[in-house]
Amino acid sequence: MDWPEQISQALKQNKVEIIAHVPDEVTGSLLGLLEADPAFTVICVTREEEGVALLAGAYLGGKRGALIFQGSGLGNALNALGSLAVAAQIPILLIISERGRRGEINPVQVPLGRATPQILEALGIQAFWVSAQDDAADVVDSGARLTFSTTLPVAVLLTPALTGGKRWK
Amino acid sequence: MKRIDAIHALLQMLDRQPVLSNLGANTYDLYAAADRQENFYMWGAMGSVSSIGLGLALARPDLRVIVLDGDGSLLMNLGSLATISTQRPVNLVHIVFDNRMYETTGGQPTHTAAGINLASIARAAGLPAVREASDLKSFGDAALAALREPGPWFILATVEPGTSTAQIPRRPVCYKDRFMSGIEKAQR
Repeated sequence: MDWPEQISQALKQNKVEIIAHVPDEVTGSLLGLLEADPAFTVICVTREEEGVALLAGAYLGGKRGALIFQGSGLGNALNALGSLAVAAQIPILLIISERGRRGEINPVQVPLGRATPQILEALGIQAFWVSAQDDAADVVDSGARLTFSTTLPVAVLLTPALTGGKRWK
Repeated sequence: MKRIDAIHALLQMLDRQPVLSNLGANTYDLYAAADRQENFYMWGAMGSVSSIGLGLALARPDLRVIVLDGDGSLLMNLGSLATISTQRPVNLVHIVFDNRMYETTGGQPTHTAAGINLASIARAAGLPAVREASDLKSFGDAALAALREPGPWFILATVEPGTSTAQIPRRPVCYKDRFMSGIEKAQR
């Protein structure tokens, strides 16, 4: 099974129903699967912080959520992650396509990409990386179980080794 | 119109509907008006309350969800109006108390003090039910309509500066847990 299918199944197994995302071609195939599946409500937001807040609201109403975005958007999500999700203990699975690391084509993506592990660590958000096709189901499933058992956000980062990364057309 | 008087008038119309308040003045005044189990208070994540309301409204279509926002906060998350407009949750009531300043940080003017009209922005975003109120009578009429008729609603309520000095304990986890168990049982 390809990684998008594995992730979709892992989300379903963990009763994730609401997906918020900021458009990203690297995760486009995953989003396509989720949009086609009636088990998921997929909502495009204007900014990552808005997605954190939307999924926090869904959780307050009893529905589990995942936020899918590219790594550069982590900077846009930080205040809501810190002062809402972590501070009030609200679980959200963050599925992040990694930018600014191996093979990055755009130098301005590098500072935030390089800082991402320390930023997540400093916020107390546990993070797990997926680089091999065969690991996607397990990492997303175990990350989802961790976020909902701790009621804290957890990040799963999809590396370019897995996704092929962002390329110039 | 004073914000706390408007909140009192609103709460009199409510049963167990959830009310979410943005950080600062709205949280203090909502707590002072009535500390209900169905209140979700914020102390941070400025700008996020409209999006939390959208998520809750989508997750609980059986509940009318009321958001108390501020002009400074909404200016930080104007994109949420476009997202709410595309999602069209009929059960969302987004109330913005516009005091034309960042009252909690010392009263510095927001851009609404220079004449920017947030209701016009909401209309331009395509929101179907937009009202403006500057006195208790018109606010009460708008709120009553918003509780009965399909939305999503956007109510811009112009208020005087001035906030309750009630000291709400800053315990986000406790209030979140109380809110979740409160609305679990609530029905429209």
